[in-house]
Amino acid sequence: MVKNDNGQLYTIEGFAAGLIMVITAYLVVNATSVYTAGDTHINDMQLEALGSDALRMMDIPINATESDNRHSDLRMIIENSEYDIFKTKFLDYTNESGSGPGHDIQFNASYSCRDSSDNIQSVQMVNSRNLTGGEHAVRSTKWVIVDKECPGAGPSLRERAVLVEVLLWRD
Amino acid sequence: MTDDSGTLSIDFIAGFTIFLLAFIWVLSMVPGLLVNLQGYTIDYDAVAYRTGVILVEDPGWPASPPWESQQNFSVTRFGLAVSRDTPNILSQEKVDRFFSNTSVYGAFVYPDDYHQRVIFGDYPYRFNVSLLDVENNQLRSVGDVVPEGYGYIRRVVKIKGLSNATIDAPLYKNPDNNVTTHEFSILVNNSGLKEQKNPAYEIDPARDQIMVNITDLRLTISNQTQAPSVNITLTNINVYKLDGGILSLVRTFNTPYIDENSSTTQPPVEVKNNVSLKFSPAFFDILNAGSSPIFINLSFNLNNGGSSYYSQFLNNTWSSPFDYDYDTPEVTQPRLRDAMVEVAVW
Repeated sequence: MVKNDNGQLYTIEGFAAGLIMVITAYLVVNATSVYTAGDTHINDMQLEALGSDALRMMDIPINATESDNRHSDLRMIIENSEYDIFKTKFLDYTNESGSGPGHDIQFNASYSCRDSSDNIQSVQMVNSRNLTGGEHAVRSTKWVIVDKECPGAGPSLRERAVLVEVLLWRD
Repeated sequence: MTDDSGTLSIDFIAGFTIFLLAFIWVLSMVPGLLVNLQGYTIDYDAVAYRTGVILVEDPGWPASPPWESQQNFSVTRFGLAVSRDTPNILSQEKVDRFFSNTSVYGAFVYPDDYHQRVIFGDYPYRFNVSLLDVENNQLRSVGDVVPEGYGYIRRVVKIKGLSNATIDAPLYKNPDNNVTTHEFSILVNNSGLKEQKNPAYEIDPARDQIMVNITDLRLTISNQTQAPSVNITLTNINVYKLDGGILSLVRTFNTPYIDENSSTTQPPVEVKNNVSLKFSPAFFDILNAGSSPIFINLSFNLNNGGSSYYSQFLNNTWSSPFDYDYDTPEVTQPRLRDAMVEVAVW
C-alpha cells in the first residue's frame, strides 16, 4: 500500500474530470449541427422565391393605360375563374429556363377569402398534379385585389382582397 | 519500495483511459457530423441568392443621376430595378448598360468590375449572370461558362419597355398654303408626366430613352404632283425650357436619324420622308429640367428649283405642341415584358 499519496488522482476525481471534458467536447462538436442538417432549406428557399416571383409577376398589369391590360392577369383569372390560364402561365414562369438547369416543378393553387359570416372560405383553383402527401412542398402566397364575391357571401359591392396560396414541389 | 513519488495510481490510469476512449469516440463522430454540411453549396447558393436580390430588387447606386448614366469609376453598386419601390421590374437602360460591352461610358470588365459592384466579398468567386428576354427570345449574359457544382438562383422579372411616338405627318399640317418655313413643336411636360405615380409605367425622360418618329413628311405637301421634286430641309432642332414663365433656348439636338440611315446626321440636312429622334436619359439629365416643360422645335424649309416653295407642311405653330404624354394616342406607353434573371456562382 502506498503511504504517500501526494500528486495522485482518486478514481472518482478521474471519472468526474473525464466526464466533464467528454461532455464539453461533445457539446462543442455537436454545436456545428445548428448551421444546417444538409442543404434542403436552400432548395426550399429557391423554390419559395420562384413561386413568390411568379405570383408577383402575374399580379402586375403590363400596361397602365390600355383598358385591356389595366388589370393584372392574376386578378382576371380569379374574377373569371379561368384556372387553366393560371396553370399555363404559372408553369411558364416556373419552368422557364435560360442558361441554367431545367426544372420540373409541380404546384397546387387555391385562394381564400372571408364570407359574410366572417368565416374563411377556401377555393381550389387548379393543380398540375394531385398531392399525394409524400411531396416536400413549400408555400408561396400573394394578396390580390379582386372584384368578385366570396363563396357563401352575397354579391360583391366592392373590391376585396383574397389570399392566393400555391404549394410547389419538384418532381 | 518506500519512495513512490511520481508513480500513477491504478485509479488515475482507469479514469484517464476511460476519458481517452470517450474522447476518441467523440472525435470519430466529427466527420459524420460534418458530412451533410457541404460548405461550398451553402456558401455559393447564399452568394447567388444575395446577388439575385441586389440585381432585381435594387436600383443600384448612385441613384440620381442613375449609375447607368455615369462613368465606370463612379458606379458603386449595380442594381437593375427601376426603383426600390418596384422589385422585379427592371429598367431597360440599366439592363443595356449592365450587359453592354460598347457603352459610351466604357464597358465593365469581367470579373473585377462586376465582382466589386454586385458579387462582393473577399473570395475570388467566378460567376455567370444571364437574362432571358422571353418576348424577344434574347439571352444576354456576362461571366464564365458554368461548371459542375455551383450556387444558383433564378428570379422571374419583367423589363420595363421604352415609350415612343410615331407621328403621321399629314395629321399635323398647317391649313395655310402660303408658308415656306415650318415649325413643329414637341412638348415634354415633365410635371404632367410625374402624374403617373407608379415608376413601372412612368414616362421619365431622365431615366428612360424616348423616341419620336415622324413619317410621311412628303404627303403633307399640298400639291402632290410637285411633291417629289420639292426639297425638304431640316434646318435645326432647338430645345427650349420654360422656367418661371420664361422660355429660353437651352441647347440644340444634332443627332437625328434621317430616312433609313442607321447613323445620325447633323442638321441642316435634306429629308426625303422620315425623321427619327432618340433622346437618351443623359440628354434630359443635362437639361436639369426638374418639372419644367421642355419644347423640342423642328424647323423645316421647303424649296423647289432653288426658290422657296409655298405649301402646307408639318406645322403646329397654328395649334398646340405635340404633347408626349399618357393621353396622346400616337405615344406608345411603357410596357412590361417577361424575363428571367439567373445567377450562378462557383
